[in-house]
Amino acid sequence: MRGTEDFEGKNASPKKFHQRKSFYLLLGIVIGIILFVALYQTSVYFSTNESCMICHVHPHVEETWKLSMHVNNKSGVMTNCVDCHLPPIENTWDHYKAKITLGFKDVWGYLTKDSADFDWESKSELEYAIKYIPNESCEKCHQNLFPEGVTDDAITAHLYYEENAKKLDLQCISCHLDAGHYNPNYVHGKMTGIPGISDDKGVVDTSMFYKEATKVTVFDDYIEQIPGTAASFKMIAIPGGTFNMGSPDNEPFHEPNETPVHEVTVAPFFMAEAETTWDQYWAFYAETMSEGRTPPEEVYENNLKALDVDAISGPTPPFGFPDQGWGSGKRPAITMTHYAAEVFCLWLSLKTGKKYRLPTEAEWEYATRGKTQMPYFFPGNPKDFSDRGFWRKFFKAKTEPIASYVIYNKNSNNKTQEPDVVQPNPFGLKNTLGNVMEYCADRYDPEAYNKTNGAINPLITEGDEWVVRGGNYTSDAADVRCAARDHTHHEAWLKTDPQQPKSIWWYSDIKGIGFRVVCEPDSSIVQNQ
Amino acid sequence: MKKNKFTRRTFLKSSAMAGALGVIGSTSSAGLLTSCSGGGKNKNGNIPIKEPGSYYIPELPDKAADGKELKAGVIGCGGRGSGAAFNFLNAANGVTIVALGDVFQEKVDSLAKKLKNEKNIDIPSDKRFVGLDAYKQVIDSGVDIIIDATPPFFRPEHFKYAVEKGKHCFLEKPICVDSVGYRTIIAAAKQAQAKNLCVITGTQRHHQRSYVESYKKIMDGAIGEITGGVVYWNQGMLWYRERQPGWSDFEYMIRDWVNWKWLSGDHIVEQHVHNIDVFTWFTGLKPISAVGFGSRHRRITGDQFDNFSVDFTMENGIHFHSMCRQIDGCANNVSEFIQGTKGSWTTQGETVIKDLAGNVVWKYDQEAEKNNFSQTDPYTLEHVNLINCIRANKPIEQASETAIANMAAIMGRESAYTGLETKWDAMIASTLDYTPKDLNIGKMDMSVFTVPVPGKPHEKK
Repeated sequence: MRGTEDFEGKNASPKKFHQRKSFYLLLGIVIGIILFVALYQTSVYFSTNESCMICHVHPHVEETWKLSMHVNNKSGVMTNCVDCHLPPIENTWDHYKAKITLGFKDVWGYLTKDSADFDWESKSELEYAIKYIPNESCEKCHQNLFPEGVTDDAITAHLYYEENAKKLDLQCISCHLDAGHYNPNYVHGKMTGIPGISDDKGVVDTSMFYKEATKVTVFDDYIEQIPGTAASFKMIAIPGGTFNMGSPDNEPFHEPNETPVHEVTVAPFFMAEAETTWDQYWAFYAETMSEGRTPPEEVYENNLKALDVDAISGPTPPFGFPDQGWGSGKRPAITMTHYAAEVFCLWLSLKTGKKYRLPTEAEWEYATRGKTQMPYFFPGNPKDFSDRGFWRKFFKAKTEPIASYVIYNKNSNNKTQEPDVVQPNPFGLKNTLGNVMEYCADRYDPEAYNKTNGAINPLITEGDEWVVRGGNYTSDAADVRCAARDHTHHEAWLKTDPQQPKSIWWYSDIKGIGFRVVCEPDSSIVQNQ
Repeated sequence: MKKNKFTRRTFLKSSAMAGALGVIGSTSSAGLLTSCSGGGKNKNGNIPIKEPGSYYIPELPDKAADGKELKAGVIGCGGRGSGAAFNFLNAANGVTIVALGDVFQEKVDSLAKKLKNEKNIDIPSDKRFVGLDAYKQVIDSGVDIIIDATPPFFRPEHFKYAVEKGKHCFLEKPICVDSVGYRTIIAAAKQAQAKNLCVITGTQRHHQRSYVESYKKIMDGAIGEITGGVVYWNQGMLWYRERQPGWSDFEYMIRDWVNWKWLSGDHIVEQHVHNIDVFTWFTGLKPISAVGFGSRHRRITGDQFDNFSVDFTMENGIHFHSMCRQIDGCANNVSEFIQGTKGSWTTQGETVIKDLAGNVVWKYDQEAEKNNFSQTDPYTLEHVNLINCIRANKPIEQASETAIANMAAIMGRESAYTGLETKWDAMIASTLDYTPKDLNIGKMDMSVFTVPVPGKPHEKK
């Protein structure tokens, strides 16, 4: 009633409808609804597979998706791009936030870059793919991780996931990389057979097998031939000597564990020209692999007593293809544990009658330096090559001469490379720096250099982790300096291994790790020198 | 709030509110007299461990509500199978048993005769199944529910098949004896959830009113935060069978099953799981590790231990101790004790809660239960709940919860057998499998069934 009074009192001439407040309110609501509907419709439109493919024009992505089990399956259900690549729509905020962020990124990329320039292969590697598949999206459909017909291995793995996903930040696609995009180089399950040993029909050609190991009578380079296999590799004679181990404080990117620079003497030894290849490693696997799981303690004990090749317990079949589908042959063998590398050396020693082992950290650095005392065994300032530092925001890093000697993040295409593509160091060794990190015989001690000044053939035997040297194909130039030290991260490298006890043969969560062997010459040979 | 609806609930609500306002002090039925200041506290001044409604409390009427006809099949027709069959029949109207399975013909026939004599239920000969595969035939014979009471070794495979066929299950405890069995149970339990099945396990303390009331009190904060506990099953010798001429190795072990590791899981698993389960149930925690020991002194048959003593470390760091023994002429005790920050709870003798000074502040009223309820047998009440859940279409799945206590018992056992510490993470992923390599109903390699000896031999100096 009051409203009527006001109306009659203050507004003698009645306003037309479009002049009233309520009109604007109504108009606002209508415009709001239209805007909302339009936005929603836009969002729906840009959530279809077709709209994703407006920007994602690389045909590979669509083909592999169609071949994947998310399309090509018995039930005939199709899982769409946004089902996996965005958080579920029920998590409204996360969903739209991710949608807007990714949308802008994609449009920007579409407008400013050429999709042919992208290295799609490396973008489908786990490290990259993991950023675009939230677990929640998988779990929205896969609510029961223990469906009918589930195998015991899968129950074990999924129990591990359920109990540790939060604690260890486990990701579904760590094990199910090929779920959304088919990848013939990826196998979800234990590797069967022995790669590279038999042909397509399972026939092994033994005519190429070496009958005898190479006899070494002088201290000189030789080609080792592994009897009973077709594998051979070059060993380089490294004369003994004294050198300065570590790096001075003023070396760019110097780390405290490289201090102090100290004098170390190493006796003469042979070192493999290149990192142990898949050809060699699969030959070892073929002769020693053990199908069932034996308690680690039993394996350790057994191998300590092994006097001939038949008595060696070697690796169990790995999960998937450990070569990552990059090809085997001369590429460095990767993802084996330090223990596996040691057992390889034991096998090689028994096969050849020589004394093969992993290099000590001192031998490794001495051989890598090749009598040089610079950050690298070739001239150059790490600052010029590294992506770290203020100036890198404005100027590109130099790649020469480092790229002709080292496989690192700038020239690797995100995978290991064969040794032939790089120049050797002054001793003739290839890929000591870069390609894959190499195991040493030492335990890692950050204070080691305070304890080994003046030492002859030092070896650190105490510590929880092993020394690894040389950086790998993903490393920045700063981390492939001769003096740069690193170590295993045992637990982190086994994060997604659901087995108990975890594998003693294969790391599940590191790729750029391998090793090269050294051979201790007979004292008679060295005297001849 | 309508005036004529002055129920117990609204009374409690209003008295709690009054207490919180400080108008009057509140008194509980148990006579706890405490202050009511501070937030988050309930009417007794206790801080609840869990909010009411956030934990499961079974309804325990004397009999299940009437509803659709339910047909059960019994797998394992020995003492417990027969007992469970009658518990099931006594739990409701409109329920019957239509199929029986066992590895021995005479066990099947004996239960069939009992059903005929006492309940006038006929089990025709084509619904009496005998052999190691009898479980499949029972499950496939058109039943709604299976009552599985074979030696526990067989439980995982039976449960898996029953769930595959969409059957509701009563599973006698324990439900597995090793890690492989545990995983089979977990997977089948998840599938049972997906299929909206009802699964009740024979850890009948979950359906025993004194335990259920105790659980409510403790969740309500009556002993404060739980800081530890000790659980016991110390009793005299259980039973054994002498081997008879004409029995195969298999037949002998099955007839003497509570004395064989692979069949029973040893008594820490087979029997003591009840008490371990009380602690894991009340705390809602898993053990992360166990160190225990045990030994054999008096047993006559089989390859099991006589006693176990195990220290468990739980997820939050608290410890609880478990001990069990089956030897005549020793101090006996079957009970649970739980310590909290404000008091303790025990079931030794009477079920009581004491404050930190040792005063009894609450006691479960056994007499009142007898006066108020005609059905006080928890072995029947668990079937009442099972039938009610099925008829009301309210799925329940207890196997996952029982599996935790079951795995804890397995961890304790393996630690005692080996002398080593066992870890939860390692045990649930372990390849530990008690299946004899040559499992069959005839001759088996008996040399593999040896009494475990922990540690290494002492070295002579």
